[in-house]
Amino acid sequence: MATIIETAKAAGCFSTLLTAVEVAGLTAALESPGPFTVFAPVDDAFAALPPGTVQTLVDNPPQLARILKFHVLAGEHRKAELVDQAEWASLEGAPVAIRRAEPLEVKNATVLTADVVCDNGVVHVINRVILPG
Amino acid sequence: MTPPAATVAEPLQVPLIPPSEHRWADVIHRLEAGGSMLPDTPENLKQIIGIYKAYAVPMDFYWRDLLYIAEKVFLNPLPAFKYFPSQAYLDRPNSYAGEQSQLRIWRGGEKAHPELLEFMAKGETRAMPKLLHHLWHDRINMEFAEACMQAMLWHQGMGGRFNDYLESEAYRANADRAIKAFFRGNPVMLGLYKLFPEMFMEQVKQMSYYANLGLFWEVMAPVFFEMSDIYDEGGFKGVPDAMDFLVNGIFAVAGRPIYHHVYVGEECIEVIPKTEGFTWLYEAALPYVEAVFYRTAPFRGTKSYNAQAYQVPDNQADFHYGILYADVFPVGSAGIPPTLLMQDMLHFLPPYLEEIYLQYKRGEEDQLIQLGITFQRSMYNVTSAVIQALRCALLYPLDDTDPEHLLANRQFFEAQMDRFVRPEARLGDVQTQDYR
Repeated sequence: MATIIETAKAAGCFSTLLTAVEVAGLTAALESPGPFTVFAPVDDAFAALPPGTVQTLVDNPPQLARILKFHVLAGEHRKAELVDQAEWASLEGAPVAIRRAEPLEVKNATVLTADVVCDNGVVHVINRVILPG
Repeated sequence: MTPPAATVAEPLQVPLIPPSEHRWADVIHRLEAGGSMLPDTPENLKQIIGIYKAYAVPMDFYWRDLLYIAEKVFLNPLPAFKYFPSQAYLDRPNSYAGEQSQLRIWRGGEKAHPELLEFMAKGETRAMPKLLHHLWHDRINMEFAEACMQAMLWHQGMGGRFNDYLESEAYRANADRAIKAFFRGNPVMLGLYKLFPEMFMEQVKQMSYYANLGLFWEVMAPVFFEMSDIYDEGGFKGVPDAMDFLVNGIFAVAGRPIYHHVYVGEECIEVIPKTEGFTWLYEAALPYVEAVFYRTAPFRGTKSYNAQAYQVPDNQADFHYGILYADVFPVGSAGIPPTLLMQDMLHFLPPYLEEIYLQYKRGEEDQLIQLGITFQRSMYNVTSAVIQALRCALLYPLDDTDPEHLLANRQFFEAQMDRFVRPEARLGDVQTQDYR
């Protein structure tokens, strides 16, 4: 199996996310044993944000890291487990809400592919960048 | 035979969710259609853009001086000259204007606005030394900016992590370093700090709110200047266009760091480092809107309240003395914060707005009231932009086809409108053009 980062690279649709993770200095953390649960927005999700949004974050790594950490939970939580609990604590600190089981919805994002199992956790592919609040 | 086109029945579009039954259902349906709380009329567009321009010029002074106070004046025990920002702060490049900016929002220059500099030199009276302008009170009313800062300081926990950080050990250690560096070689102040450490800490917290608001307004000034320029070029077709510009602006700068640096000579002490990850949206913009647009506090000398009869809410979250609720007429008394702002905006009104005011009510005699109401309209539009930005960030697109998503949007909009059900709210007034 591959790590979360290797899996994302191989998928080919997470180039913005991977760049953001690199700029925010989180690559090493996501290469570590973890395990983590990552809600990974596809490139189209970042592209849908108004112009300038991603640029401002990329220019400010600590702020970018905060938004990215909101997409990560400690521990490996697969879909079947996620739907049993209304909210999960993100690494950012704010809770991530599970709004619907089928199709699985995490905050206002829909999970496109669930349970991509990696060496150091699990990835759920989502169609929107999720934000705390 | 094919019937004439006009008689062909249109396919019935069944709404995915039933209409709202909220008291402000019309406004909610307008928000759901991508509109603003403020009706889309040419005059509303003209009024709000005109006042954004008149607001942006003094705001260009406010943010510069707020940062000057937070970073340089800091804990000066006799800050008699805090309203005299140094030339460096008047020339300080705006992060969102000018060619040097990484994200250019306003196409104009990065230094203090020319109209501001002209007013600072001449005032309402004539050119004279700035100390005389100050004593004659012929100047920008920084007291308004400080009143906004104090509203944020006083209401505190309004989302974001800023206020929690001010209570943390890390912040206290940074503030302690800043205090000791600032009063280095001043045994009297250092002695007082030893005796009354909490008083000094509280002052540093207030300075951090100066920085917070300064960094917030550094963004808003170029946003409003750019909106004025776009309007002058014929670029906005209606109120929703102006609101959408604000929504995009909110997203574009959402990740801007909020920090507090103090400069003692050449030394920079990071009281709130950028690495804390505080952002413009969560730690400045949303708390600002909550504290200043909605809550604030009753203005002294404008009205008597009986707190025992709960005329003043016992819960701070229920305070409703902000611009969205203000009765602009009694509020327009001398010396209180909104009047200070109205006076500041009066100096920079675009001619097309002055023309409107001369046509109605008492013309020039009650311009301050009329522009106060224009300001109220414009802030209903800014609040609409904040509501739409939050809907966009946390909920679903307006053209989503999933009824559950549309209902979630509906519940969000209705919850926002619940805040305008109380009788003091001016949402109903701004629906008509007669309210002036």
